Amino acid sequence: MNVLELRGLTKKFGDFIAVDNMSLQIREGEIFGFLGSNGAGKSTTINMISSLLRPSGGEIRILDRDATKQTRFAKMNLGIVPQDLAIYEDMTAFENVSFFAGLYGLRGNDLKERVQEALEFVGLSDKAKSFPKNFSGGMKRRLNIACAIAHKPKLIIMDEPTVGIDPQSRNYILTSVRKLNDSGCTIIYTSHYMEEVEEICSRIAIVDHGKIIAEGTKEQLKATITDVKDIRIELKSLDALDLEQLKSIPGIRVLSVQQDDNMVRIQSDAAVDNLNRILKQLIDSGMEIRAVEEQAPNLETVFLTLTGRNLRD
Amino acid sequence: MWNDIWFLVRMTILTTFRKRGNLLLYFGLPIVGVLVASMLYGSQSTPDLRVGVVNEDGNQVIAADTIRFVQGLSHVKLVNTTKEDLKKGIAASKLDTGIILDAGYSSSVLKGKAEHISIESVKGAQVTAYIKSMLYGYIDNVTAMGSIAAGDTGKFQQLNETYQAGQFKLTAESVNDKSSGQQMSYQSIGFLIMFMMTSAVNLSQLILKNRENRTYFRILTSPISSRTYVLSNVIVNLIVMIIQITVALFFMKVVFRIDAGIPVGEMVFILGLFALVSVSISLAIVSFSKSTAAAGALQNLIVTPTCLISGCFFPRSIMPEALRKLSDFMPQNWVLESLGKLQAGEALYSIGFNIVILLAFAVVFFLLATYKFGRNNDARNFV
Ligand SMILES: Nc1ncnc2c1ncn2[C@@H]1O[C@H](COP(=O)(O)OP(=O)(O)OP(=O)(O)O)[C@@H](O)[C@H]1O
Ligand SMILES: [Mg+2]
Repeated sequence: MNVLELRGLTKKFGDFIAVDNMSLQIREGEIFGFLGSNGAGKSTTINMISSLLRPSGGEIRILDRDATKQTRFAKMNLGIVPQDLAIYEDMTAFENVSFFAGLYGLRGNDLKERVQEALEFVGLSDKAKSFPKNFSGGMKRRLNIACAIAHKPKLIIMDEPTVGIDPQSRNYILTSVRKLNDSGCTIIYTSHYMEEVEEICSRIAIVDHGKIIAEGTKEQLKATITDVKDIRIELKSLDALDLEQLKSIPGIRVLSVQQDDNMVRIQSDAAVDNLNRILKQLIDSGMEIRAVEEQAPNLETVFLTLTGRNLRD
Repeated sequence: MWNDIWFLVRMTILTTFRKRGNLLLYFGLPIVGVLVASMLYGSQSTPDLRVGVVNEDGNQVIAADTIRFVQGLSHVKLVNTTKEDLKKGIAASKLDTGIILDAGYSSSVLKGKAEHISIESVKGAQVTAYIKSMLYGYIDNVTAMGSIAAGDTGKFQQLNETYQAGQFKLTAESVNDKSSGQQMSYQSIGFLIMFMMTSAVNLSQLILKNRENRTYFRILTSPISSRTYVLSNVIVNLIVMIIQITVALFFMKVVFRIDAGIPVGEMVFILGLFALVSVSISLAIVSFSKSTAAAGALQNLIVTPTCLISGCFFPRSIMPEALRKLSDFMPQNWVLESLGKLQAGEALYSIGFNIVILLAFAVVFFLLATYKFGRNNDARNFV
């Protein structure tokens, strides 16, 4: 069964098309990765799925029912973990979760049990009576998740749940995502961290300018770019670098520079032998090469190749 | 739906009033308002009236009953005296007024025409007027009964007892210094109106606050609709205001013993109506504000000045004509005017126009808020 199906979903803000004829099927039990750079349309899509925004066109089906018509059914089966924290600072962790779970009609002992379960899930049981104002960033994020899962939704959508937190909380969150999945939840996961997505997602869609430009398992995605090689060259300094000149070398598709570690990244046609020319050009313009490395394609390479941009630009 | 609303209402009240400061803010201030008003206008109130009674009519039933009646008036202290001492006492300000019952008073009443009674006083007409009017009302009644009894003391007594058991008690409750009590209550309610409006805006601001901390959008992703959510806010608001009204009136009537000169029921009705107006105004303010800061600014711009013009802080009579005209456009003015009219003795149905105007204010602002809320459903901040 499809937990979520999008058919030609479109959202226009005036003349601007934020989500463009998007179609997608997510099956039960998947952890589905949603990748896209800033402004790609991820949040807009999620807002439509959670009926915060009305689609300009297309259809959203949750558990095989029209989500725009049967909103109550759709909402009962959805849990949203928003990108920015949405919790009450002046309520305890326990009260926060009970409040949001209560919105789904849970009351009394049922409610209490579910809340305790959710807090345990994110490792905040011992903080149930504390106020979030005294929490660390990672603890707040975990509470943010607990608030979305206590009502046991079939589909959980997490928007960047690990942004800006310590590695320990991050591991905790990744583990709990897996546990949620094991307990039967389908999960949509958006993140800027490729490693995370590679690690936990069973299938991935890459979104750009409101469109899905690639979709599949990570192996499938990586396989699509056998024709591209990914070269990294570390230089002593980037001062004398002339990107235009490099770009004119045959076979080069995408060039990008990482300032912080003096690295030049080149995606080039695998069929064209141009490494010698590239290195010669760099040396001729007086640059000192520290290291050269050819990488096996990973999700980042896929993203870069497909969109011509770094994910975190 | 009502289950959901009740849940939201309970949570909001719980978290809002967990803070002591809020308890003071919402319910302490109206009490302070009553206190301030009673200090501003209370200094004019006279203590108990000391009334000297000279009874030269012996042990007649009617004479004794008359004296008992005067004694029963609130704020009156009776002193039995002689004609001579009465004059001295009044001259020395030991007594405020005196009632002299000459021999033959009772029998004249029994015959249906009161004679041989006089009232003496040096103080302003107000005091004597009060005693006089109460006493004359009483005498009219007893002489009427005297006529019916036609000289039969036993029959008269029977009539009188039945009568006193009935409505007489009511008359005897009235307070002497009515005007200052009215002024105190009028001003207390002026302050109360101001506090009701402020707290209404504060509570409606929760909607904005929850937009700012994004919990509002989380609520919207649950099966709860925005309408249910706003309705729950309105209900919290009304509950808080009804408690404010109750607390203020309780302190006014029971603790400070100020007589507003209006039945409590009518006062609660008018103020309850104003609670609706307050909520609708606060919702309109919130619907036009992008942030809590903006709403706060709008509140300062709207609530305090309009309260001032409408006479919530001091009587409207000291304001220039132009401002008084302007206040016709303020709901607060219509509340205060309604109370003024009721205090002047008009019946509730005779201020129907004021009630309609107040309802109209509520409806207009509710519609305005609904229209604005419908237009700015922007979920950009979420997810
Ligand atoms: N309410 C709105 N009105 C007009 N334009 C909007 C609105 N909401 C979003 N947009 C635009 O739609 C585009 C997609 O935005 P969206 O928030 O969906 O991107 P995103 O993929 O979530 O990005 P990020 O990774 O930064 O969260 C952006 O260009 C944004 O400016
Ligand atoms: Mg986003």
